[in-house]
Amino acid sequence: MRIKHSRHFPWLLYLAPALLVYTVFMAFPLIDSLRLSLFSGNNQVTRVFVGLDNFKRLFTDPEISTRYWGAFFNTWKFFFVHFIVQNGLGIFFAVLLTQETMKGRQIYQTIIFIPTTFAVLITGYLWKLMLNPVWAGDFLVSIGLPFLKHPYLGDTNTALWAVSLVSCWQWLGIPTMMFVAALRNINVELLEAARLEGAGSVKTFWYIKLPLIKPIVGIVAVLTFVNNFNAFDIVFAMENVNGAPEYSTDLIGTLFYRYGIAGQHPIGIPDAGLGAAIATITFLLLMVLVIPTLRQTQRGA
Amino acid sequence: MKRLHVLLPMLLLLCVLLPVSAQGNKAEISDEVVLTMGSWRTDDVEQMNRLLNAYKKLAPKVTIKFQPTNPPDYNATLRLQLDSGTGPDLMYARSYAAGQELYNAGYFADCTDIPGLMENFSASNLAPWQMSDGTMFAVPFAAVSHAVYYNKDIFKKEGLSIPENWEAFLSLCDTLEKKGYTPLANGLADEWDILETFFFGLLPNYIGGADMRVKYESGELPLNDRNFVEAYQAMADVAQYCPDGFESVTYNDSQVLFNSQKAVMFVDGSWTAGVYKDAPFDWGLFAIPAPKGKSTAICFHPDMAITMNTATKHPEEARAFLAWLCSEEGATTASQNLPSGYFPMIKFPIKLEDPHANEFLSLNAGRKTDARFVWPKLMNLYAPMNQAVIKVMKGDISAKQAADSVQALM
Repeated sequence: MRIKHSRHFPWLLYLAPALLVYTVFMAFPLIDSLRLSLFSGNNQVTRVFVGLDNFKRLFTDPEISTRYWGAFFNTWKFFFVHFIVQNGLGIFFAVLLTQETMKGRQIYQTIIFIPTTFAVLITGYLWKLMLNPVWAGDFLVSIGLPFLKHPYLGDTNTALWAVSLVSCWQWLGIPTMMFVAALRNINVELLEAARLEGAGSVKTFWYIKLPLIKPIVGIVAVLTFVNNFNAFDIVFAMENVNGAPEYSTDLIGTLFYRYGIAGQHPIGIPDAGLGAAIATITFLLLMVLVIPTLRQTQRGA
Repeated sequence: MKRLHVLLPMLLLLCVLLPVSAQGNKAEISDEVVLTMGSWRTDDVEQMNRLLNAYKKLAPKVTIKFQPTNPPDYNATLRLQLDSGTGPDLMYARSYAAGQELYNAGYFADCTDIPGLMENFSASNLAPWQMSDGTMFAVPFAAVSHAVYYNKDIFKKEGLSIPENWEAFLSLCDTLEKKGYTPLANGLADEWDILETFFFGLLPNYIGGADMRVKYESGELPLNDRNFVEAYQAMADVAQYCPDGFESVTYNDSQVLFNSQKAVMFVDGSWTAGVYKDAPFDWGLFAIPAPKGKSTAICFHPDMAITMNTATKHPEEARAFLAWLCSEEGATTASQNLPSGYFPMIKFPIKLEDPHANEFLSLNAGRKTDARFVWPKLMNLYAPMNQAVIKVMKGDISAKQAADSVQALM
């Protein structure tokens, strides 16, 4: 009895502060916002239980559902660009950086990582100026590239791609560093053995390196997914909360902000219930897709 | 070891409880009254403090603290404060629907019997803060106007003059473009500005003043009649005179383009006048001209009013301040402390010192005026109309299609 007591109680005690903070500031608000999606009204007094009405409005109201599906598919596009460009380049650079023959590795590593340390609002704003023909047009003409002069952020065909690529550029350093760390952990003997067996660098990558860093690939994929489904800041910085032009850069994050937090300009009365409904669906979607991905890639890790 | 198990949680508990009890009540001892004032005008802290200091001389025991919120967040923040019972005692009230909503929710006090209010303001200036039964929920404070800013130096250099009508305006733009200038600074990236300053600015020229707007609101006239199609067409026609890549030009960019003399004209609201205070060139204003055969009207928009919280602990002091704003003396002091580009709405003839402010006001002389078209009754059409204007200017749809798309939502 006594032994059991002293064995189990201490770790609970040390865990308690973290658990307390987590419960109060993470778990409770999360569960409360799920609950909120079943209510209408903005405060405790006027809040009314409306069942699934917020969800019904989200999918049947012609205006709201158009906006929701628009944002939904834009978010998927935004995510795929990151998944392919950001993570693809991440692996590519990581393999280059871990080559033994690579010179000046520190310098390249720093260059790749530096943008992640900048504030999104600042990089977004700078790119907004660079992509604006009014400010950058003369420069493009002077270096002989006048065909690049285009209002990228004002054209519905290019705006989402431009915003996504800027975001990829900024966050490229994170997956690169994670892949570098994973690749460095691979036992050198394995690689030497492969080389002695006559495997080229492409084969080594596909059959040795990639399978061994699979758990990290999984984690990076999940992080990319979660971060991009909650993306808001880069659109806020480069376009506006309406997802200009013509809602073509409207993400679930900006839609949620408009409906749930700020309200639509110029009246600006938020609809907390509808916002919570959007957040709830995003939460469920993330759960459904993240858990199997983690299971797949973390097995035996 | 065992004692530690008891001690640690106790300590933890103490840590949690301490800040709570420390917050306890700070009793107010003096008979001084402190009122807070909520606002969306973060730019006006200096002017408002001057105004409030002037009031303090009249009512030494009352201190009013000006606590503005970031403009886009004001409605949401105010709502949150009022809902949770921490709203300010006095606050700026939005006109029409946004304000009515807060009166209906029981947060804005009934101001109808504040001395001077009903007598010293014209009916049309009272209307934006009036319920349909005539109840006033705020005291009108300031209006904004919309016009074409133009670079006088360039006009002089090129021998150009202010256009008489819309057709002349277009040919003026054409002349400027041929001479290598960017005629207009306006862009589409921020969306709200092209609608609120340009489209709503020129709309009264095509549909007429408030008396005509009412007919559209009641459905007597459709929103895709000839007047509206012509107005959308006007927007389509000016698109080519906006900067290259105007699709991605923000409101800020527009201001910089005009201020750096890259663009010669800028259709904008009066609130920007202060931005060009130190401009290195001479600038002036003219009304957005009406097409031939129509008379020029002005979009003179009731923008801000001040009201009091029904839950304030000091209703008498708050009322006294509002009554002061309705008096000639109060209104004069207030007007002199308004930032440039904001105009008093009270009946008394008040002299403004800023020459550009007077230039703006002189545009109203002998002309019909009206609020921005959708504000009084059709606010739900704001976003669709905004998108229609943008698409027309990009050439994605025709003026007729733009008008039809909005009428379809009536």
